[in-house]
Amino acid sequence: MNKFRLSAWTFAAATALTPFTTQAGQIEWLQWFAAEDTSGYYDQLVADFEAAHPDITVKLVTQPFGKVRESIVTDNAIGVGSDVLGLNMPWTKEFLDIGILEPLDEYLTREGNSFAAGDLVEAPLGKIEGHTWMVPLNAFPFVMHVNMGLVRQAGFEAPPTTWEEFAEQAKAISALEDGISGIGMPFSSQPPSNGPILTFLPLLYANGGRIMDGSTPDFDNPKVVETLQLLKDMQDEGGIAPGAASRTGGVDLEEFIAGRTGFLISPGVHSSAITGRNAELDYTLVRVPSNGEQAYRVHGWELGISASSDNKDDAWTFVNYLLSPEVNAQAAQAANALPGNLKALDVVREGADPTLIKQIDILEGDTPVEEMRQSPKAAGSWAVMTEEIQAMLRGDKTPEETAAAVQARWLELAQ
Amino acid sequence: MTSMFRHMTTRGTPYLFLLPGLVILGALLSVPLYKVVEYSLYDNVIVEREPTFVGLDNYANLLSDSGFWSAGLNTIVFTVGSVLGHMVVGIGLALLVNADIAPRARTFFRSMLILPWIFTAVVVALNWQLLLNPFGLVNYVLQWLGLVSEPLDWLGNPDLAMWSLLLISTWRGYPFIMVSFLSGLQTVPKELYEAAEIDGAGFWHKFWHVTLPQLKPVIFGVALLDLIWTFQLFPLVWLSTGGGPGRATEVLSTLTFRLGFVDFQFAQAATVAVSILIISAAFTLLYLRNEARRL
Repeated sequence: MNKFRLSAWTFAAATALTPFTTQAGQIEWLQWFAAEDTSGYYDQLVADFEAAHPDITVKLVTQPFGKVRESIVTDNAIGVGSDVLGLNMPWTKEFLDIGILEPLDEYLTREGNSFAAGDLVEAPLGKIEGHTWMVPLNAFPFVMHVNMGLVRQAGFEAPPTTWEEFAEQAKAISALEDGISGIGMPFSSQPPSNGPILTFLPLLYANGGRIMDGSTPDFDNPKVVETLQLLKDMQDEGGIAPGAASRTGGVDLEEFIAGRTGFLISPGVHSSAITGRNAELDYTLVRVPSNGEQAYRVHGWELGISASSDNKDDAWTFVNYLLSPEVNAQAAQAANALPGNLKALDVVREGADPTLIKQIDILEGDTPVEEMRQSPKAAGSWAVMTEEIQAMLRGDKTPEETAAAVQARWLELAQ
Repeated sequence: MTSMFRHMTTRGTPYLFLLPGLVILGALLSVPLYKVVEYSLYDNVIVEREPTFVGLDNYANLLSDSGFWSAGLNTIVFTVGSVLGHMVVGIGLALLVNADIAPRARTFFRSMLILPWIFTAVVVALNWQLLLNPFGLVNYVLQWLGLVSEPLDWLGNPDLAMWSLLLISTWRGYPFIMVSFLSGLQTVPKELYEAAEIDGAGFWHKFWHVTLPQLKPVIFGVALLDLIWTFQLFPLVWLSTGGGPGRATEVLSTLTFRLGFVDFQFAQAATVAVSILIISAAFTLLYLRNEARRL
C-alpha cells in the first residue's frame, strides 16, 4: 500500500512539475518575426525543421517586437527563458552584461555547420568582450525612401545624393503646400523612443562619424556636431515636418505612405509596406544622402542562444538550419529582407524587385555600421539622445551643447 | 471535546471554503510585494546573480535624485488635475443626463457618454495622438476659428504636454464619476427639491444646498478611489507621451518602468515602486476609513 502511495505521489509530482522542466529534444524559440508575417511562413519553417530533425521539436513563442526585450530579461530572471532568442543588435552589450547570452564562438567553428562564418553579414558577429554573441537571420540597410512625385513637383529630376541637395529638396517640398513636408523626424519620447537611431545615426554614418569608442561613449565629436547642425538647419528652414518631438516612427512611416512627406529614412524592409499599402505612390529608394562617406547603418533580425538553456546543442542545430543558404534565402524572402548568409544572396536576387536590388548593391558595396550593440545601456542611451535632440530642435540648446549633454548623460548612465 | 470539535467544524466550514481563494490571493499579492521590497534593499538585482545588500541606501539615493522629485511633482500635478477634471466633467454630465427628458434620448446620451470608459488605454492614446497632431483635427479647428496662427505640437511641447495629458486623462476617466454620481442622484429624495423650490431656490441653490450635501459621502468615496487609481496610472501616460518631451510628463509610474525596463536598474525601480506603494496605501486607508464611517 505504501509503495502504491509513494508511486502515486511521485507520478503526481512529476506531472505537476512537467511544465517547469524542459525535455531533451524540445526547444523554445522566442521571437517577433512571426508577428510581422501574415503568410504563416514561420509555422511552416518549424514544421519543415521538425520533419528534417524528428528528435527535436520547436515551440514557436511569438510576441510583438516591443515586448521581446522585456520578456527576455524577465524570463531570464525567473529562470524560464527560451532556448533560441530572436534578437536585435543594440541589445548585445546589455544582455551579455546580465548573462543572458551564450557565447557562440565554439558553435561557429563546428564541423558540419551548414554555412561558413565568413559568409555571414559581419556586423552582428563583431566580438564584444572577446566573444561573438549573435548571428544574423537577415539584414537590411537603412535607406532613404523617396516620394518621386513630390520631388518632381518641387522642381527636381532626381532624388538627393548629398546633404546639400537633401536640405534643398526637403525645404522645397515643404514649401509646396500646407500639410506636405520634406521629411519627418520621429523624435517622440513615446516608446520605444528610438527616433535618433532611425534617422540621425544613418546620416551620421554617411558623414563618416561614429558615437562609440569601443564600449565607451564618444558623442561630443565634430562629426556628430556637424550632423546635429544639419538637422537644426533643416528644422529652421522648414524642411522637417512640424511636431518632431511628438512624432513616432510608426506615424512617420504612415505619413510617408500617405504621400505627405517627400523622404523617409528607415530600414529598407519598409519598402514592401510602402508599395503594398499605397501602390499609387511614385516611389523609389536610394542611399541615405552622403556627406562624403558611403557607410550605412545596418539592421537585421538576429539569433542567439540563451546561456541558461538546457538544450544548447539542439538550439544550435536549429540556428544552423536557419542559416543554411536555402532556408536563409526563404526566410529573407518571407521578410522581404536580405539574407544574413550572403551565400543566399543570389537566390534572393533572382526575381527581386528594383528596390531590393538597390539594397543588395548597398549591402555589397558600402560599409555597414552598427554601434548601439556596444553600448552598455542601448535603450537608455537612445532615449537620452531623443530628449537632447528634442531640446535642440526647440531652440533650447546649440548642436555643441546637445552633443556635450548627451555625452555627459551617457557616461553617467554607463556607470 | 466532541462538542468543541463539532463547534469547530460548524464554525470553520465557511473559512475552509474561503481558504483556496485566500491562499491564491495571498500568494499573488504577498510574494510579489515581498520581492519588490526585498529588491529595494539590494544593489543590481536581476542584473547580478549575487546582488549586494545595501540596506536603505537606495532610498537615500532616491531622496537626493532630482529626477525622482521632478517625477513626484509631475505625479501630484497629474493626479490632482485628473481627479479635478474627472469630478467637474463627471458631475456636470451626471446632472445633464439625469435631466427629465425623453427616456430614449436619455438612454442614448448615457450610453454615448460612457464610451470613453470602455476603450483601452492604447486606443485612447492613439486617438488623442491623432487629434492633437500638428496636422490633426484640434489644430485645424483652432486655426479655422483663428485662435492660433500656426499648428501647436500639443504632446511635443514641454509647456503644453502636461495640459494635453490632463485633457486625455479627463476624457478617459470622467465616466466612472458620472456613473457613480448618477446613481447617487437617484437616491436624493424628491421632496427635498420640492421643498427648496417652494422656498424659491433656483438651479444653483438646489445644487449647492441639496444635491451636493446629500452626495458628499459618494463624492468623497469616488474621489479617493479615483485618486488611488490615477496616482499609479501607467499605460495612458506611457502610451500618450512616454514621459516626454524631455521628462515634462514623467510620473512616478513611468519612472519606475524606465528605471526597470529601459535602464535595467531594477533595485532603483523597486525603490520607486515601494514609495508609490506607501503613498497609495495611505490613500487606501483613508478610503477604507471613509467607507467604514458610511456603513
